[in-house]
Amino acid sequence: MKIAVCVKQVPDSWAEKKLRDGDSLLDRDSVEAVLNELDEYAIEEALQITEAQGGGEVVIVTMGPERAGEAVRKALSMGADSGIHLVDAGLAGSDAAATSYALAKLLEGRGFDLIMFGSESTDARMSVVPSMVAERLGLPQLTFANKVEVSGGTVTIDRVGDNGIETISAATPAVLGMIERSNEPRYPSFKGIMAAKKKPVETVSAADAGIDMSAVGSAGSWSQVNSFAARPPKAAGVVVQDEGAGGVAIAEFLDAQKVL
Amino acid sequence: MDVLVMIVAAIVTVIAVGLFVRTVVGFVRQFRVGKSINRTDKPAVRTLTLLKEVFLATRLKQKPVGPIVAASHLIVLIAFGVLFFTLVTAYGQLVNPDFALPLIGHWPPFSYLIEILSWLMVLAILILIGVRVTRRPNPQEPRKSRFFGSTMWQAYYVEITILAIGIFVIALRAAEYARGSVQGEEFINSNFPLTGWIGQNWTGLSLEALATLIMLLAFGKILVSMAWFVTVAMTPTMGVAWHRFLAFFNVWFQRNANGKPALGQLEPIRYDGVALDFEKLDDFPDDIALGVTAMTDFSWKALLDFSTCTECGRCQSQCPAWNTEKPLSPKLFTIAMRNHAHAISPWMTATEEERANLDPALIELAEKPLVGDDGVIADDILWSCTTCGACVNQCPVDIAHIDHIVDIRRSQVLVQSEFPTELNGLFKNVENKGNPWGMNASGRNDWISEVDFDVKVFGMNGEDTIPEDIDYLFWVGCAGAYEDRAKRTTKNVAELMNIAGVSFMVLGEGETCTGDPARRAGNEFLFQMQAAQNIEVLNEIKATKIVVTCPHCLNALKREYPQLGGNYEVVHHTELLNDLVKAGRLTPVNKIDQTVTYHDPCYLGRHNQVYNPPRELIGATADSFVEMDRNRDKSFCCGAGGARMWMEEKLGTRINQTRGDEAIATGAKRIAVGCPFCSVMLNDAVNTRQQEEGRAVGVEVVDVSTLLLNAAKS
Ligand SMILES: Cc1cc2nc3c(=O)[nH]c(=O)nc-3n(C[C@@H](O)[C@H](O)[C@H](O)COP(=O)(O)OP(=O)(O)OC[C@H]3O[C@@H](n4cnc5c(N)ncnc54)[C@H](O)[C@@H]3O)c2cc1C
Ligand code: SF4
Ligand code: SF4
Repeated sequence: MKIAVCVKQVPDSWAEKKLRDGDSLLDRDSVEAVLNELDEYAIEEALQITEAQGGGEVVIVTMGPERAGEAVRKALSMGADSGIHLVDAGLAGSDAAATSYALAKLLEGRGFDLIMFGSESTDARMSVVPSMVAERLGLPQLTFANKVEVSGGTVTIDRVGDNGIETISAATPAVLGMIERSNEPRYPSFKGIMAAKKKPVETVSAADAGIDMSAVGSAGSWSQVNSFAARPPKAAGVVVQDEGAGGVAIAEFLDAQKVL
Repeated sequence: MDVLVMIVAAIVTVIAVGLFVRTVVGFVRQFRVGKSINRTDKPAVRTLTLLKEVFLATRLKQKPVGPIVAASHLIVLIAFGVLFFTLVTAYGQLVNPDFALPLIGHWPPFSYLIEILSWLMVLAILILIGVRVTRRPNPQEPRKSRFFGSTMWQAYYVEITILAIGIFVIALRAAEYARGSVQGEEFINSNFPLTGWIGQNWTGLSLEALATLIMLLAFGKILVSMAWFVTVAMTPTMGVAWHRFLAFFNVWFQRNANGKPALGQLEPIRYDGVALDFEKLDDFPDDIALGVTAMTDFSWKALLDFSTCTECGRCQSQCPAWNTEKPLSPKLFTIAMRNHAHAISPWMTATEEERANLDPALIELAEKPLVGDDGVIADDILWSCTTCGACVNQCPVDIAHIDHIVDIRRSQVLVQSEFPTELNGLFKNVENKGNPWGMNASGRNDWISEVDFDVKVFGMNGEDTIPEDIDYLFWVGCAGAYEDRAKRTTKNVAELMNIAGVSFMVLGEGETCTGDPARRAGNEFLFQMQAAQNIEVLNEIKATKIVVTCPHCLNALKREYPQLGGNYEVVHHTELLNDLVKAGRLTPVNKIDQTVTYHDPCYLGRHNQVYNPPRELIGATADSFVEMDRNRDKSFCCGAGGARMWMEEKLGTRINQTRGDEAIATGAKRIAVGCPFCSVMLNDAVNTRQQEEGRAVGVEVVDVSTLLLNAAKS
């Protein structure tokens, strides 16, 4: 079984993030970059599937600047076999739709049985790229997956939704989006880190992938950022001193907020 | 018959000596397989240390075993050596019943020495046998005995041999006296002070009868001695016998030439005997072996350690893991390693080609993993260790258990990825967030907004090195910044320094985990990444004097960073505060009128020998102080060290509860500590008891600094 895992390098989730004034893009240089945490679950799941099957191939796929190669290495150190890195200055500023287009072009025709994603990135948090890629490739999409089972040409998942858990299945090839409850991602062993240095990573340009440059990047994206403002500082909260009527005060507060 | 006896004695002796020499060669060959490690620095100091440890019994006389056993052991040790002369005499007596050693044989001082030593040896070995018999595992609570798991027959055999030799020497001398007396010899008057009285009973025997008696006794003595040599030669795993020879070497080659226990810093991770620097990762060979995966990865000193263990169980009696029903005992660990090493010794000492031709059963055994369900030791044994150092501190032959345990953990983490899953979170948090809790770096200064005096944060005024007028860099530590109880200590110490006029500065977001938990958990790679980052910062800002509130930070900064190029003068807050009180810069005005007890944190006490400053501080701030039974270097761990803080305690009873109950039992109302982790652990233990009706009422776990601040302020 050949599995692609799409990963994104994101700024450390706890660092303070700022947009650049010039192009309204996220300032990525000033903060530590890490592998999107949710993608680790997808990698782990992919590794477990191939391990259970006693073979197969896990390919890490990313679109991002030069530096995003670190995220690929990290994924390789966990045990994935190889990487594909789409780098092109023209891709900068792509929105979710454009990103999905570029990824779909990159994945197309490579013979993957499963294409796995994290459910969302911790920076932009659109949580739509997996579905969009599936749509573009015309593949079934199994998103918000918790438990995954692969047998023969069928993949079955527990889909964790707002209204409960559904068990759904589809024929491979299919697209999967993993949630964070699905497993416990492994800590890369030192051996894994050493081995990762030798694993092949294919660097692909937009042209190599046959991407139409007018459909990607800031300019090619359907959505544009016109203006932005910093989040207003947190207003001081209301402190209720409990002098016997604390419960009532809380109820009144909640009522005023239209929560009750 | 004479001739027959002589022939038998000669044959037995040749066999015994031959077998013995063969086994000694086997030992040397096995040790030579071990990886290189330098243990020959300061030879004169080492020799002095050896003499001290042997003749002053500096290690042996430690509690809980005590001076009587130490004295008895010293007598046997000396007598066993000196009485070798009587063995030589015995050979002579086979040929000639009147044989005596030339020159000294009938020299009264020598005779006195022999007689005194033989009687003392008999007495001492009877005491030691008595100790072993009375302390042997009893069926109700076998684990309570320090001899649980020791090979009892071997120890009894060695002891009975010694007893028998002592009796033979005495009987032989009595017979020599009798024969001399019958022959009217002059020398008998001045050479048999303690055996003549027995000999007098035999003076009625004929000269021939006495000659036969002497010959038979000498023959018996030789047989007993040679049987011993054959037995130990056939049993290289008989530590109780072999330590007689190996202990001298093991003590001489110990980690610290001056005889300080192998505590504090860990041995660095080595490859081919050279300490590894992970910054040079790219130069490492691909298949680099990290830590200890197989027996052959141990250093020669580790192999010597294993073979030297006498199975005395002193380490076991102190081990917090063992005393709370966990599978780890440092003794059983050492024995397991030693037995496996000897079982596969022919394989270890063979070349690659020779190995292929060995017995398949042996090859299979050699391929058995060190750790795991089908390994030499179970995972739970490896991961139960809190690295508290009680074993290392106690071992009379200077075995360095922690170094070996951590070396195996290194392989488990770095090479095999087999470790408790909880450590995943720890490693990720330290690696990504720079602290074990996974908190944000921006939170490092939160405590500053909770104090009402100014705290200087490095870089706030654009400084790029620590200003001249700053006395100390205050290393807050992760617990000190994020953990509620420890944060209180941080604020106390800052306030006390402020009151005393000590100028200090903190690094704020420039601080990151020292790497201690990662190192103890075997993740040397992560430790070195953390250490390199911290050392770079500390060197760049020219930090020299550092004060910490966490003993684990203390140990890392003071003892481990020098291995990687970071040299600072580091003090624990109890040391600094005690100095300030002594200098009159802090005055406790209002002593608290409650009884206080103090728990020695392993990494402050045993690992760094800070025992008195916290006690002096408590003395200055409280009316009465009471010690727990186990204190100072015999302190019992709280259960948090060795990265155990971050692992679940699923086996046995809880270590912190055992210690907490011991503290509560003193009747003290305040349990003072000097470590953020001890604080959490003991506080949990006290809370557990308080939730039970009427237990530990009013007992509080506090940092020593809290006592001082209360006394200095009110
Ligand atoms: C200020 C700002 C404004 C934005 N406005 C818009 C907007 O108006 N409209 C819009 O569509 N988008 C907008 N974006 C988001 C856009 O730039 C996203 O970063 C991009 O579309 C990827 O989506 P995501 O990160 O939200 O992915 P998600 O859908 O949250 O990611 C799910 C999964 O997709 C995969 N994935 C995502 N990106 C990649 C990648 N580059 N390479 C490989 N795998 C990947 C990963 O597996 C990930 O876990 C904005 C971003 C910013 C910072
Ligand atoms: S260091 Fe402490 S816990 Fe570990 S084996 Fe020694 S005594 Fe036991
Ligand atoms: S390791 Fe040391 S203390 Fe423990 S049993 Fe062996 S000799 Fe005794």
